[in-house]
Amino acid sequence: MISAYILITMHPGKSDKAIKEMRQLDNVAKISIIAGEYDIVVRAQVKNLEELLDVTDKIQMIEGVSKTTTQIIEKEISLQ
Amino acid sequence: MVIRKKYLFYTLAITSSFIAAAVTGVDSFVGGQPAFKTDPWSFAFSLFFVGSIITLLISLILSIKIHGKSLGAKILDPSFKNLRMVQKSELKSHIIAGVMNAINTVGYCSIVSTVQDPSVILSFSQIVILYLLLMESITEKDVPTLVEVQSSVIVTFGAILASISLTGAFQLFPILIVFLVVNPTWAVFSIYQRKLKIMRINNRPNDSINIRFWNIIFSCLFTALLIFFFDLFTSGSHLLAGVTASIDPYYFMLLALTMGTTFFAYVLYIRSLGMGKASVNNAIRASTIIFAIPFSIIMLQLGLITEFSTDPVMLIIKVIGMVLIVMGIISFALTLVKAYIFIDVKTGRPLKETMQKLWNIRGVSHVTITSGKHDFIVKVSTRTLMKGYERIIRKLDEIEEIKKYHWESVLKDWEKI
Repeated sequence: MISAYILITMHPGKSDKAIKEMRQLDNVAKISIIAGEYDIVVRAQVKNLEELLDVTDKIQMIEGVSKTTTQIIEKEISLQ
Repeated sequence: MVIRKKYLFYTLAITSSFIAAAVTGVDSFVGGQPAFKTDPWSFAFSLFFVGSIITLLISLILSIKIHGKSLGAKILDPSFKNLRMVQKSELKSHIIAGVMNAINTVGYCSIVSTVQDPSVILSFSQIVILYLLLMESITEKDVPTLVEVQSSVIVTFGAILASISLTGAFQLFPILIVFLVVNPTWAVFSIYQRKLKIMRINNRPNDSINIRFWNIIFSCLFTALLIFFFDLFTSGSHLLAGVTASIDPYYFMLLALTMGTTFFAYVLYIRSLGMGKASVNNAIRASTIIFAIPFSIIMLQLGLITEFSTDPVMLIIKVIGMVLIVMGIISFALTLVKAYIFIDVKTGRPLKETMQKLWNIRGVSHVTITSGKHDFIVKVSTRTLMKGYERIIRKLDEIEEIKKYHWESVLKDWEKI
């Protein structure tokens, strides 16, 4: 299983509709709206890189998405 | 479907409290039966004994596959696959939780058997929330904030007021049992149930149905042992009385009803323990006292119980207690700040060492090493931004491997559960 963060920059005023669409996507484990350099962080969980490309593609197709940066998780420590 | 985790957490915890309130009503009826009224020890054993059987049956039914997915996964816990043997990695936690549950039950029984009206004494068991805050500050590397302490104190005192009775009397020994036996054992029990829930078994999140099943098995075993030794030293026959009552068809049916309902309350409670701290869970669980009141009124109307105070002074005290519980829970719910920290590090330093330094910072809940623009993405939770600065940013500044970082507060989030 591959996990990745997809950091998204949005065009102003399009976030609400874009998030509704992102919530329907398969392989999306978590979505956070954040304040700062990025607007949305999506955590994707996929079986292989092909599926990750598929998720990234679908996100880039959503209206209002200006730019995505994908960060593949190599190692993780977490409380939960 | 990706939903807001916060909503699910509170829904699970409050639904669990609602079911637990229904169980409390049934418990008081079952506990009032001739076989148990004068012998709370046999009542405790019978509950666990019949509970083990009924939990096994429910768990087996929930293991039935429908369209490739178990019934339990569809209706209770998506992590549940089927009933399985306890794994080596979870054995220690199950033993500790089982021993604590058994000692807790024995402590509770000793109070019920020695005090005529135990409600005054048992209301102090709500202080367990404060025990949990203290223990979590050690085990979960998260020192409670002023807001958490205030909310916990509000809920605790609210719960005491809402559950207190003016008809009982203060006695030192039973109060000592509450403070030294009942509360610490419940706190350790909750923490180990949470540890079990956040474990990964066979590369998937541990499920609350197996946790509940194995907990009741271990609790039954250790309770039987404790009552056996108690009988041995006091020449009593509580264990035998418990077994006899358990196999009586009428009592079996009543016990099966109460423990069958308890199963669902616990499964939801364990699920919510996997999402939030044990202290916050127990604070929300204090709402059981509020839900118990309508159930008590219904049972009074049905003639199943005979005692429920309608004294105006008592009712005012209880209402004040309930308002405090609700305020405390809302305060918990509204005061949590989460953030991502994106970190770039200097080259020539091992990433694993930096990862450990980041993980050691209080309030850090996730550390990930990532390939791409940033070297680390760290997730933090804090009750206030000031605490975020003092406990997290200052510590980041001390890590010399870090070249630059930026903090981005989470405004709203959703999670697939």
